[in-house]
Amino acid sequence: MLYCGNLLLLGVVVGTAAVAANPSPFYAALGLVTVAAMGCGFIMCSGGTFLCLVLFLIYLGGMLVVFAYSVALCADPFPTGLAEGSVAKYMAGYLLLTGGAAQCTTLAPPFWWSVGQEADMSAMQGEAEGVSEAYGGGGIILISCAWALLVALYVALGVSRGSSRGPVRPIK
Amino acid sequence: MSPYVLVLLLFTLGLGTTLAFVSSHWLLAWVGLEINTLAILPLMVRNHHPRAVEAATKYFLIQAGGAAVLLFAGVTNAWLTGQWGIQQATSPIFIGVISIALALKLGLAPLHSWMPEVFQGLDLNTGLVLATWQKLAPLALLFQIQPANSPLLIFLGLASTLIGGWGGLNQTQLRKILAYSSIAQLGWVVLVVQFSPSLATLAVLVYIVAAAATFIILKLVKSTNINMLAVSWAKSPALVAMAPLVFLSLAGLPPLTGFMPKWLIIEELSKQGLGPAATLAVLTALLSLYYYLRITYAMTLTMFPNNFSGVPPWRLRPLQLTFPLACLVTGTISVLPLTPAAIALVAL
Repeated sequence: MLYCGNLLLLGVVVGTAAVAANPSPFYAALGLVTVAAMGCGFIMCSGGTFLCLVLFLIYLGGMLVVFAYSVALCADPFPTGLAEGSVAKYMAGYLLLTGGAAQCTTLAPPFWWSVGQEADMSAMQGEAEGVSEAYGGGGIILISCAWALLVALYVALGVSRGSSRGPVRPIK
Repeated sequence: MSPYVLVLLLFTLGLGTTLAFVSSHWLLAWVGLEINTLAILPLMVRNHHPRAVEAATKYFLIQAGGAAVLLFAGVTNAWLTGQWGIQQATSPIFIGVISIALALKLGLAPLHSWMPEVFQGLDLNTGLVLATWQKLAPLALLFQIQPANSPLLIFLGLASTLIGGWGGLNQTQLRKILAYSSIAQLGWVVLVVQFSPSLATLAVLVYIVAAAATFIILKLVKSTNINMLAVSWAKSPALVAMAPLVFLSLAGLPPLTGFMPKWLIIEELSKQGLGPAATLAVLTALLSLYYYLRITYAMTLTMFPNNFSGVPPWRLRPLQLTFPLACLVTGTISVLPLTPAAIALVAL
């Protein structure tokens, strides 16, 4: 399980590096999907099965929006892929930096807390309680958050509309 | 933009500020700040001018950065102490990080440089919302954390009054001058917030009234730079005759309302044994006075010649609602005699 967790965390780092290396929006969205999937996989390995499912669905929804917007509104005629020139160089640089930092900081032997109280069957209990709390006591806050997400959707549409005639364009 | 959407967005703007005001939990405060930021963005890009979109993008990046630092500090605090409450934050490091994040959101020097750029890209109405309403939520959080890290806030305050005065000196663009003026006024607020929150509230209220009066005057005479002010007398002579008093009230000259918060803040700082800080703040207010005086000079104290067809606009009825402006100008000019009542009101 430790090996699996480390592999997934490596995926998170690679995905983040792919976003940070500034490729075209399509590939950056791909990097974000990688980060989301690997992160959720890691949470699943740590025992949060329900949490990771919810998180992944929400991330996926966000990714779909980002992807649809980036394709529909700011479509690059000549996208820069991950394997091309500057992107690949930056990505390699970020990965080397992260690896070096990981080497330098020799932590205690890695251990991960499980998401619930224990790694046994009681993990489901905490999650179910959290969900019922979110829908019960936190109902209004949940509605505000959902409303904020809707406004965010509108904002992204409002800022980036107009494709090649709009103010937000790829710089050549 | 459809009026329905506009109303919904304004409602969301209010919702964000209200959430930040009522929350006692860092997560909810963060949600409030984020809703606030998101709701103002469509209002900023309403006319879809590239400059406005640029300003909105800059504003979003800065505010998102500030909110991320705030969330990071809140989560770290919860991790280290197990407390999520805003008023339960006790660690000085944590309060320092929160103060810096809020300073970034408020545009206090040395984290101010986004503000003139963002203001310059917006129309005066949105600028007014940005200069007044958008400051309320971060200020409410700053009032609540009960800062113990006094040198940091005094440094932020003094740097803001200095940069706010200095940066506006060589500007000809009124919106940039107003942005620097906003930085300077918030500097005074932050200077006193840890000694007397009620005085800081008073300073914020006076600034909001004065800023609203200023922005609406400039909106009425349709001026965005000092050259355009020169012919503003033809638009509304009585208003332009009052305008210098409004600007000098912002500068803090005695018989006007703006003198009240500065006077009380200096008194409070002297009581706290911070004479040098008070002196420095007053000296930097002189720098601000210079650009207010220059606006006054171009607007009212000189009467530039104009051709005959450019003179009569004052005969026409203004299309804009003028009653709120009348109230705001009166408030900006003449509330100084009510100082004891104002102090009693904010000390409740």
